[in-house]
Amino acid sequence: MTTEARTGKKDKNRSPVFTNKMYFFTIPALAFFLVFWIFPVLQLFYYSITNFNGINYHYDFVGMKNYVKIFQNGTILNSVKITLIYAVIIVVLSNLIGLGAALLLNTRIRGKGIFRTCAYFPALFSAIVVGFIWSYVYMPTSGMIASLLTMAGLDGTSFNPLGSFQWALFAIALVEVWKSFGTTMIIYLAGLQTVDESLLEAGRIDGCTEWQLIKMVKIPLIYPTITINVILSVIAGLKAFDFSFIMTNGGPGKSTKTLMFQIYEIAFNDQKMGRASAFSVVAFFLIIMITVLMLFFMNKKEVEL
Amino acid sequence: MKLHHTQTEKESYEKMTPKVFLIYVLIVVFCLIVISPLIIVFSSSFRIPENQTSPLYLFTQFSLESYKRAFVNMNYPQEFLNSLITTGGSVLVVVLFATMAAYPIGRIKAKPARFLYYFFISGLVIPSQMVIVPIAQTMSRMHIPNTRLTPMLMFITCSMPFSVFLYAGFMKSVPVEIEESAYLDGAGLWQRFSKVVFPLLKPATVSTVITQGLWIWNDYFYPMVFISKKDQYSLPVGMIQFLGDKENPAQWNVLFASCILCALPLIIIFMLLQKQFINGIAAGAVKG
Repeated sequence: MTTEARTGKKDKNRSPVFTNKMYFFTIPALAFFLVFWIFPVLQLFYYSITNFNGINYHYDFVGMKNYVKIFQNGTILNSVKITLIYAVIIVVLSNLIGLGAALLLNTRIRGKGIFRTCAYFPALFSAIVVGFIWSYVYMPTSGMIASLLTMAGLDGTSFNPLGSFQWALFAIALVEVWKSFGTTMIIYLAGLQTVDESLLEAGRIDGCTEWQLIKMVKIPLIYPTITINVILSVIAGLKAFDFSFIMTNGGPGKSTKTLMFQIYEIAFNDQKMGRASAFSVVAFFLIIMITVLMLFFMNKKEVEL
Repeated sequence: MKLHHTQTEKESYEKMTPKVFLIYVLIVVFCLIVISPLIIVFSSSFRIPENQTSPLYLFTQFSLESYKRAFVNMNYPQEFLNSLITTGGSVLVVVLFATMAAYPIGRIKAKPARFLYYFFISGLVIPSQMVIVPIAQTMSRMHIPNTRLTPMLMFITCSMPFSVFLYAGFMKSVPVEIEESAYLDGAGLWQRFSKVVFPLLKPATVSTVITQGLWIWNDYFYPMVFISKKDQYSLPVGMIQFLGDKENPAQWNVLFASCILCALPLIIIFMLLQKQFINGIAAGAVKG
């Protein structure tokens, strides 16, 4: 007791119960985090100015050559553009569908549980399994959509979204939406359950339509939930890799080479670790920039309400 | 919130007006569109591998031949065991380390604690592919051989940001007074943490186990990069070996059976613990 009291005296305005000794508890987590996450990020900067190939440790420093190369041959701008389009599709569709489904399921209807399960079910599957399933769905001629088109009397043989420069990116983004909107919906449902029923009742007495209630009462009240969902889907969108890797292999051409896919390809197919690291550094700054901007914008909006 | 929930459940259902009927139709059509690929996959997996008729004719044949072949191709018992060890081991360490880290972060009201909080969260935005080159070098420089352990190290690391964020959020709901009285009763720091705080964090632990367990079980990237021996493959990595079969329509029924087998353990767990699953996922985002 006496020793605790003394430490309590040493740093004022801190309770004797919660001492600085507690910081020792962070050591294991911090060790993992620093060694396998933060330290590698810092190493990226170092590798990005070398011509390291992953095998031979006698590499040279090449200065800014890697950066010049990726900007000159346009790979970085191409991937940034593709990743941003992908992220926008994910954010918009996943949130619109998720919120729409949550609003529909938040009414007093029968069989809510079954519908919720159906919508959430795709989220259980591994990306690799989802990739296989949707490769079949999109397959030309004998795939699910193509055969349905044929059955409906349309030309199913010309349906080949994954082989189209124009549609491949949208096609794989749609797969990601299919897999992720269920989780978004669950979070929206939880948010909607916190909306006070008496507020809605008051609105109904004042003669609000259901749409007005959604727009004027429910949406503003679940703003924190919208914020968290948008942030989560932006992060997921910027990490796009799985379906480019599994379903299209970046193609056709370069049309689905997202940032992460491009980094993986340069590092492991081309064995150019230095150039991949330069790519990663650029991606790192882009991601940080977007995240900071988003947090800034979202926080500001929340205060206004 | 619990009270509110039971209240709404007791309330009567909406009467069948045209508007309500329209909502039903909308939901049913939407759900059918969403799960139609899964239904087709499920039905085709029960066909014999040679059956090449259109998969759109549902449940025309019941045979376990495709499953038998998928079971052997995947070396299912071995891969299942590997997935179980990897996921179970990682989640266990994550729960222990993340609660420990969140304890001071959630309790101490000072700058270093707040810094640590944001420091951990910042890890959320970094994609695995971005740092895989230096991570692979770190592993080889630390002489960590490519075994089941290597991806586990990465799973634990990648789970830390979200888990610490979640636990730190939940820590607020554990009353300070309980701990203070434990302190007056002479409980040490570790005792207070393990006997008082940790049990009270159970909802956060459920949420962590579900959200982190789900992605670790399903992740193929780290095992793909770090595991070279076939007998150490987890289920998703085993599936990657079939990527070439995509082009061969003769393999589809077996492939579909493999897909179902790969997802089966999670489907069973989800069916058994549906409520915990849904609440755990929502709590993860709302509480934190």
